[in-house]
Amino acid sequence: MARRVIGQAERRFAALVLLPAAGLLLVFRIVPLIWGFVLSFTNSDGLGQADWVGLANYRGVVTDQAFRDSLVNTVLVLATLPIWILLPMLLALLIHQGVPGGRFFRAVYFLPAVLSSVIVGSIFNVVLRFDGSLNAALKAIGLSPVDWLGNGGTALASLVAVHLWSTFGMSVLIFLAGLSTINQEMLEAAKLDGAKFWARLRFIVIPTLRPIIEFVAVVTTIGLLTGMFGLIYVLTAGGPGTSTTLPEFLIWLEQGKLNRPGYAAAISAVLFALMAGVAWAQVRIMSRNAEL
Amino acid sequence: MGRIARWLIGTALVAGPTLAQAQELTVWDWKSGDPVAANYFAAAKTAFEAAHPGVTVNFVMQPHDQYYTLLGTALGSESGPDVMLLHGGAQATSRAAALKPLNDMTEGLAGVADFTADGNAIALPLTIQGFVVYYNKALYEAAGLDPDAPPRTWDELKSVCEAFKTQGEVPCFAMGNKEGFGGDFFLSVLAADMFTPEQQAQMAAGDLPWTDPALRTIVETWVQTSQDGWYPEGANAMAKFMDEYETFMRGEAANTIGLLSDVAHWKQFEEFLGPDALGVYLHPAPGGEPRLPVSGGIGYAVNANSANADLAAELVKVLSAPEQAAIFAVDTGALPANTAVDTSALSSPTLTTILGMLDGPTAPLAHAVMAPTVMEEWHRQSQLLLNGETTVDDALARMEEIRQQAKSN
Amino acid sequence: MAAVGKRERRWLWIAAIPMALLALSCIYPIVFAINNALKTSKGYILDRFGMVTDPTVQNFADAWGRARFSEYFVNSVLVTAGAVGLLLLLSSLVGFALAMLRFPFRRLVFVAILGALMIPIQVVLVPFYRTVEGLGLLNTRVGLVLAYTAFFLPFSIYLMTAFYRGLPRELLEAARMDGARFLEVWWHVMLPLGRPALLTLGILNTLYCWNDVLISLLVLQDRRTLMVGIAALRGEYTTNVPLLAAGIVLAAAPIVLVYLVFQRRIVGGISVGAVKG
Repeated sequence: MARRVIGQAERRFAALVLLPAAGLLLVFRIVPLIWGFVLSFTNSDGLGQADWVGLANYRGVVTDQAFRDSLVNTVLVLATLPIWILLPMLLALLIHQGVPGGRFFRAVYFLPAVLSSVIVGSIFNVVLRFDGSLNAALKAIGLSPVDWLGNGGTALASLVAVHLWSTFGMSVLIFLAGLSTINQEMLEAAKLDGAKFWARLRFIVIPTLRPIIEFVAVVTTIGLLTGMFGLIYVLTAGGPGTSTTLPEFLIWLEQGKLNRPGYAAAISAVLFALMAGVAWAQVRIMSRNAEL
Repeated sequence: MGRIARWLIGTALVAGPTLAQAQELTVWDWKSGDPVAANYFAAAKTAFEAAHPGVTVNFVMQPHDQYYTLLGTALGSESGPDVMLLHGGAQATSRAAALKPLNDMTEGLAGVADFTADGNAIALPLTIQGFVVYYNKALYEAAGLDPDAPPRTWDELKSVCEAFKTQGEVPCFAMGNKEGFGGDFFLSVLAADMFTPEQQAQMAAGDLPWTDPALRTIVETWVQTSQDGWYPEGANAMAKFMDEYETFMRGEAANTIGLLSDVAHWKQFEEFLGPDALGVYLHPAPGGEPRLPVSGGIGYAVNANSANADLAAELVKVLSAPEQAAIFAVDTGALPANTAVDTSALSSPTLTTILGMLDGPTAPLAHAVMAPTVMEEWHRQSQLLLNGETTVDDALARMEEIRQQAKSN
Repeated sequence: MAAVGKRERRWLWIAAIPMALLALSCIYPIVFAINNALKTSKGYILDRFGMVTDPTVQNFADAWGRARFSEYFVNSVLVTAGAVGLLLLLSSLVGFALAMLRFPFRRLVFVAILGALMIPIQVVLVPFYRTVEGLGLLNTRVGLVLAYTAFFLPFSIYLMTAFYRGLPRELLEAARMDGARFLEVWWHVMLPLGRPALLTLGILNTLYCWNDVLISLLVLQDRRTLMVGIAALRGEYTTNVPLLAAGIVLAAAPIVLVYLVFQRRIVGGISVGAVKG
């Protein structure tokens, strides 16, 4: 009897607590998502009059070269994921191992993550242009300059590099925190047994860090898929051609500049469907990490 | 203001007719924070508020990057500002359905055609816009050219650029094509000279195929001039505004296709190069006589859904009235659309030449009348052409495909 | 870390060189921004990379006054504080419930909340705007606070759930035995224990809210936040880099200061979501 009363109170409290959060998510995220889905079957020009056009927008999306290019670009960007994990992990390891100046590095590496992409973009605009400071430095050491942002072969890579630069500090911090949970006695014992740095890394450090690696992978993927807009806008405007056009940028373009919200909604729906696969994998990892 | 608050205020006004009606008109633009234009906005606000006691005008400068996305979203939800600044051409006409016709107010204004949709004038132009070539006389002299004899024909322009190429100090033209604007401007200056009136009309209606020989010549010339070394390297990473123009102002490029209003015009260039070192000419083209490409620049429109649409129209009238427009013209160097504006306070040899050009043959801006999707594709193709990442044939085929799609929608 | 071998020590010194270069690159933008904020517009165009020769503070005065950054500053502070407060409150409550309490569909609720994480703002731009408009929240700070809360809530809930999951359920049961109600357990036990995670979330959400442009632009159309003010300074044709740089310095200074003050504690708390795996 008493148990059941407790159970009831527990449920009531949970419901009470969940309601406001669920309400906010429903109103500001789920409802707009469904609304957008409906919009994708219309030829809305954003000015009120919208006719039902069935699947016409979707037929347009499938044959849209710019959209295809943007998907290819997305795949290319996601392919860089290992760098996003390995580089911060390496830096965190070095700081953890007591690299000279480590405390200073730890403080400074996070600084770019503090800055908004508008700011980061404005600065790298000047750094990366053909007559910018990076090429000036290259010339000074006798290398030939590269048109980093204006060339189809380097623009996307440059964009990814800037995004990496502006977020790696966050991942370094996460890895550092994970490293601080490693059993020091075990490490010391291994060292006394003569285990080399790489052996200790492989058999003690990496296994402990596995959940952290997954966590960083998840956070980074979300960032890559949803957080590059600001940089694209300021650095390349999607060009040259479509070489740095990612779906979220294309959606924005169709929406505003090209004034086709209905079509933009269709791209959004396709993008959302494609992302569902990635999302599913991530939700699995995340809920496992939360042990639910 | 929330709906509830609006409703409360509305009720209060009905219930208490003796209450003073404190009204506010909101104006969206992308200029009112610019120190150069501060006097103009202050004057318009003062003049309007003096004539309409109890009304406040609130100028809101929106980020230009996001301006049309924000405006389109707001207009589509039947909200948004009472008055808004718009560019002439497709950006204004494609939103005609949400704008109040201002047909009886256009007297004495030039460039209204670019703000006309379905026979209705939907905005009152403040400035006129157009493209001319500005050149640096000192650099001409250094390259062994006559600084007072700018090129008049295509062959003369070619030999000018040849001279700069041979000299090897500075590129012939400054060029910024990061957003594809370099391609836009090039298309418009060449089309102004080469298109017949029929072709101009077809272009405006979206009926001119990209297989047309004139368009092919323009695209081929874009590639050819690039291959001939007219432009600096890295043009695709260089923003036209203001990276390209800053290059010209530093004296690191001999020519640039500049504007008549806003920025990148005679007044700004004179500040850097000095009035005597700046020259101006009309861009020649292979075939055809040089003509000045002009259009309505920017103008104010009224939101048809505004609760105070009539009052807002009054405000637009004040914003484009000769007294206010004169302040804008004198402070910023923009060419006013209002023909009654007194520009005698402005004097410069370059301006005199430009005013003379306005009396000569003119043509519409070919790029500004393109459908938005076509223009976007031209931005992309112009970059790929410049990089040599596509061919003229492929680019033209792609452009034609997009034009037909835009036409059928 | 003690007792590192001599050979490894040498490698660490070698590794420090590229790491120091990377650290320099992280400081460079701040030096760049301050240096250019002190130039005049003309001075910048004529010499973009050189050190400022004739510093002026006029740009800071212009940004603060004419570009109305003083107003935007107030908006940014109010909205960020409101949203972060609400986010911490809701995420610690929901995290507590999801991690410790037993109720039906618990897993489904958690997965649904995580799913909402995957909706980028661009995808829902127009409907989102109309929802805000329909609720009468357009141009209100409250509207922006609620929008931020909705957008950053899934991640916050995830982190708090993961953190509380790492605590033993006996904590809850012991408190219940003493007759504490759930709300009291949350207030007296869960909130104090959750401090490292809440601090981390506080910092992260402050960064997100403070640096956001797009949501703020849509919701607060007339009275705006600092980052929108900065975006507006990148006008159509008039990008005045020194003025922009001054705005950037003004907008970034508070957040950099907050970071520098709290940075040691962030490291302690930031891992919580991941470590408890």
